[in-house]
Amino acid sequence: MTAVLIVQSVILVVLCILVTGLLRSYAAVLQRLHRLDPEGVNGGALPAAQPFRTAPGVTPPRDPPPATTDAVVTRAGTQIADRITAGGSSEWGAGHDIAGSGLLGDSIAVRTVGVAHDTVLVFLSSGCSGCGTFWDELADPRQASLAQGARVLVVTRGGEQESVGLLREMASPTTDLVMSTQAWADYAVPGSPYVVVVDGPRGRIKGEGSGTSLQQLSGLVHQALADKAAAIGSAAVSKPRSDMEREVDVDRVLLAAGISPGHASLYPPTDSTADSTDGATPDFARTQPAEQLSANHRPAPRR
Amino acid sequence: MNAPELTAHGIAVRLPAGCEGRIYRRPEPLAAFTPANRGARSPATAATGPTAPTAPTAPTASGGATVGRTHPGAAGWLGERPGAVVHLATFALPVVRGDYGSGAVESMTARDVFLAMLEFGPECLGTALYRTGSRPRLRPEHFDPNGLQRRIAGQSGAQFFFTERNRPFCLYVVLGSHRRAEEATEQANVLLNAISVQAL
Repeated sequence: MTAVLIVQSVILVVLCILVTGLLRSYAAVLQRLHRLDPEGVNGGALPAAQPFRTAPGVTPPRDPPPATTDAVVTRAGTQIADRITAGGSSEWGAGHDIAGSGLLGDSIAVRTVGVAHDTVLVFLSSGCSGCGTFWDELADPRQASLAQGARVLVVTRGGEQESVGLLREMASPTTDLVMSTQAWADYAVPGSPYVVVVDGPRGRIKGEGSGTSLQQLSGLVHQALADKAAAIGSAAVSKPRSDMEREVDVDRVLLAAGISPGHASLYPPTDSTADSTDGATPDFARTQPAEQLSANHRPAPRR
Repeated sequence: MNAPELTAHGIAVRLPAGCEGRIYRRPEPLAAFTPANRGARSPATAATGPTAPTAPTAPTASGGATVGRTHPGAAGWLGERPGAVVHLATFALPVVRGDYGSGAVESMTARDVFLAMLEFGPECLGTALYRTGSRPRLRPEHFDPNGLQRRIAGQSGAQFFFTERNRPFCLYVVLGSHRRAEEATEQANVLLNAISVQAL
């Protein structure tokens, strides 16, 4: 009996040690998670985060989010306030088309939603001391590669809040610029300079942040645009547009006529098939899958 | 979201879905055009804002000045009084482009449509070219690959002159693919119908 009691006591002690270890590791995990998301899903129920900081020359946001950043702030860095939806899940905000005016009194409407291309919106201001580098970079055609084919649009506040004369001096003639206070409100821009990347086909924001120069923000822009580049795939073959369109049209007409990949009529008659009118499938069809044919839009020459 | 609306120079456009547009008027050139000042910054651009709304424009059916703030004497000629220009497109309009879409139409895909409506000066009122009455209704047979300012493979264009609310206009429409003329013409008519002209 004594032996049984001793064994049970030992087991109890071991179990207590194990439970204590588990609780400690659980607490450590919670602490790390809290560092990643200080606000928590209940909006600040957890201890306050460190104050927001920006790099020299960057206008701090009006409503500082509880995070720390050096220069480039991204969603991971929590400078961008998570959009908590009604369902409790966070996701990027919706994109908005932009309407405003130009520097010469022109009326401008730019589509950023439901279009094939992505748009890099650069929010700048005439009174922003940290925007000078952006203006210079935007005027430099060598910076065009930053956008990776996306459209770059500078958005300032409306003429009633900006010095149009200063903007005319700072903006390059080749800079696409719209003055729109509404756009600043739509995208909840905290201050300038600020960059938002809008996914055109999906109509949603896919990246946003601030920095001291376009070069510095290039990582953010590249990251935001990388999804599309990955979707296109590095193996894609570049063809002239007219060739692509012609091939698609030809494929469509052929398929409508019942001529599918590998159809005998696609090949010149040879000695062995010239006399054959039974539509026998040539060797090519057995070696060239239909999917591959579709990708190439036309059959390879028969060898 | 409501459709964006453009309003300037007595012209209003309620943009159809998927389209974008601009209404502008180039500043009056203050220097004669020379090859040397081509591409230089316009003194008018730097010094002045929009000009008076009654500025007439010397008729030109070809070419087109560069818009935006790139224009100097390169965008016109001394004494020219540019009029209002409307550009509507189903694709992203580049910032540097001509009144008739040069610089923009080159980036069109087969599914795109470009429309330019240019106002001319009052001296054109009542002339035979502009006496055709109301704004045209576009039909596929209007479009021809030879109707382009500069021929681009696959595209076709059409040009019309008319007077509306006592304002003479030239309408120039480019289809991204002539083979899709039927469908594209419908798109172009939607764009055209989105424009309303006010009397000045």
